[in-house]
Amino acid sequence: MEVIIQIALNALVAGSIYALITLGFNLLYSTTRFFDLSYGAIAAVGGYIVYCLYNLLGLNLYAAIVLGILGAGALGFSCEKLIYRQLRARKASSAVLLIASLGVLLVIQSALAILFTSQFHIITRDLSAERVFTIFGGTITEVQAIIFLSAITIMLALGALLKFTRFGKAVQAIADDEEVANVVGINSEKMIGIVYFIGAAIAGAAGIATAFDTGIMPTLGLAILLKGVIAAIVGGIGNVVGGVLGAFVLAAIENTGAWFFSAEWRDVIAFLVLIAFLLLRPRGILPK
Amino acid sequence: MEYLVHTVVLVSIYAVQAMSLNLLIGETGLVSVAQAAFAGIGAYAAVVLMTIMGVNFFVASLIGALAAGTVAFIVGIIFLPLRQVYYILGTVGFNVIAWSVFLNWNEVTKGSLGIAGIPRPVVFGYALSENAAFLVLCLVSVACVYGISALITRSSLGRVLHAIREDEDAVAVFGYATTHYKVFIFVVAAFIAGYAGALFASYLSYISPTNYIVPESIFALSIVILGGLGSAHGAIVAAFLLVVLPEVLRFVGFPSELAGHLRLMSYGLILIFFMLYLPKGLFGKFRI
Amino acid sequence: MNLRTHQLTKSFGGVHAVDGVDARFEAGKITALVGPNGSGKTTLINTITGLYSIDNGTVIIGEVRHAKMRPSMVASLGITRTFQNSRLIQQISALDNILLVLTKRNVFAALFERHGKRHLAEAETILRKVGLWEKRDEHAENLSYGQRKLLEVARAVSTKAKIYFFDEPFAGLFPEMVKTVSGILRELRDRGAAVVLVEHDMALIREIADYCYCMDSGKVIAEGTPEEVLQQSNVIEAYLGK
Repeated sequence: MEVIIQIALNALVAGSIYALITLGFNLLYSTTRFFDLSYGAIAAVGGYIVYCLYNLLGLNLYAAIVLGILGAGALGFSCEKLIYRQLRARKASSAVLLIASLGVLLVIQSALAILFTSQFHIITRDLSAERVFTIFGGTITEVQAIIFLSAITIMLALGALLKFTRFGKAVQAIADDEEVANVVGINSEKMIGIVYFIGAAIAGAAGIATAFDTGIMPTLGLAILLKGVIAAIVGGIGNVVGGVLGAFVLAAIENTGAWFFSAEWRDVIAFLVLIAFLLLRPRGILPK
Repeated sequence: MEYLVHTVVLVSIYAVQAMSLNLLIGETGLVSVAQAAFAGIGAYAAVVLMTIMGVNFFVASLIGALAAGTVAFIVGIIFLPLRQVYYILGTVGFNVIAWSVFLNWNEVTKGSLGIAGIPRPVVFGYALSENAAFLVLCLVSVACVYGISALITRSSLGRVLHAIREDEDAVAVFGYATTHYKVFIFVVAAFIAGYAGALFASYLSYISPTNYIVPESIFALSIVILGGLGSAHGAIVAAFLLVVLPEVLRFVGFPSELAGHLRLMSYGLILIFFMLYLPKGLFGKFRI
Repeated sequence: MNLRTHQLTKSFGGVHAVDGVDARFEAGKITALVGPNGSGKTTLINTITGLYSIDNGTVIIGEVRHAKMRPSMVASLGITRTFQNSRLIQQISALDNILLVLTKRNVFAALFERHGKRHLAEAETILRKVGLWEKRDEHAENLSYGQRKLLEVARAVSTKAKIYFFDEPFAGLFPEMVKTVSGILRELRDRGAAVVLVEHDMALIREIADYCYCMDSGKVIAEGTPEEVLQQSNVIEAYLGK
């Protein structure tokens, strides 16, 4: 019984990070219809900014986190403005955009490897002073709890933003039909830029969370993006709630598998989950 | 002179891999980010046969290529019927998983230690231990693969592939089971990549999982993009350019690890540049 | 072989683009499909040929009922079509576009093609018929609008199907081309095929069609000989608007 609780707690933490990635990715995909494979790399950048500022330069932790999130957002915004926007203006096919994003992924990953080496890094802090909570026999560290709560907060804030503000309605309009949105006076170019910033900032947050929880390497980007996309497929593509649900389901399956086999097979398990869903239930758990 | 031979060997092996990827992307429009994984399967299978069971190179590499083709068949059946973005994602995920298996299946692949002592091919009792002799095998391989590529492209099958590239639904309406064709070319490309992997392993006499990470697949992709879609000789020229480039970096004096990262970064920049300004590549016959 | 639809329905987000259509396309006849823009003619063809999934109703070919149609089934059922906005393969030659539908469909047969010469001769015949033989090596995207429409027709004819759907094949053609295409349609009909023609030109319809359906807002509002249909008041109203 304790094992189940522990797995559940681990899954909640990991799942909340995946959910951020899924939500951010979904946000970008629904407005631009383009699979940005560099999205995960932007998450890594967020984590590295915090690592650099806090661990290497000794900046205040909270300032570092804010800068990390903003930095990731700025990077995403720049990529969109400099590269993807031009390609979209030329009506480039989705394959072209995807390949361009692969290029961006490679550039970001290599830059991170040059600056920080390809080694694994974890944001160090005074572990002995860290509190540990025991819930129903399972343990969760203070940091993990913060990660989980922050992620939930971000998700709720994003949901509220999209559902209740004019901005959110404009985003929905663009997601439904960009041309029509422009006709009714929405400046889709500017909006997409802002959406990209927000999406990238969310990725940055996810990357920072990962840097605290399990650590980061330059190659983190692709792995975490895959998880986010698998979560979206498991939960049901196009359904935002489904994506979040899928993230937690994926994390639960992964952690269960990792407990009984070894942790290194986590990626394989995630992929097998993907295959299982694609073959048996391609529409995911929740319908659109 | 030794150095020149070494460079031409590398160029040939990468040219073989790029020509196989061109069959997928250039002729059929199937973007794949998994060629390195298939090269790895071919390499590891052949290497295990050569080192543990003393099988000669030609039989071992054939079996390695068949292994790669078989895995491609399974992966292809699962992912090729899907919409383009999911399919591409599937190839990325598959590469991640394959690498994970290479890294963690210690009993067979010896994990991150890699496998050393891989023998050179033996032709009629004469071992190709001289690089110059090995080079001859490489050039013969390039010629054979070029021939196979031309045979496929100029046949009726090639015509169907070109049509699938552009408008799969229209082709289906006229009676073609397009998935059969896509799976076929996917398997053929994997087979050739598997052979290239075995060839590379024999040349270096040592392999490790780092040879088969996703960035290596993206590297193969950038060769095809640079060379131009639908051009086998473009792939050869581009392989030359992209292999020589990092060697120049090392000449100028960059330390090896830094040069490695800069190499990957330059491939990323090439992808971005070509997608923005030269989507047809140098010798391409088709736009993506 | 006849093709019938029974209560065929296709909706998009609540709008019935094709609404309970009962139609009969008989072998050895040219059946025209008329109606204002947006009445569902192309959607009907897309649904019958599997490009859109059937929401309700069936397609009956010969004696066989089909509740599901997929694009890859269509050719084996003896059906072929042209597209309103021609869907040729742009980056290959006109000749290749024709050869594409002449060669065997099986992967290995295509790889080791043995009937190259025969296919080339057949392609030559049909391309000469539409006057495109001289342009056979031009990429389809470099042909003029009219030439592309002719190539679409040639492609459909090359399939030697039993049921043909032509979606506005005459739009934008010069008079000589119109004559060529109507000649082809008549020839197909005389050989016993079922020919379905979506068209706006009333004079043309009176001249070559044997039977006629008029659609409006997804429903069939009139059927009969072209003379009968084109005189009905509801048909005239549908075109002119109420």
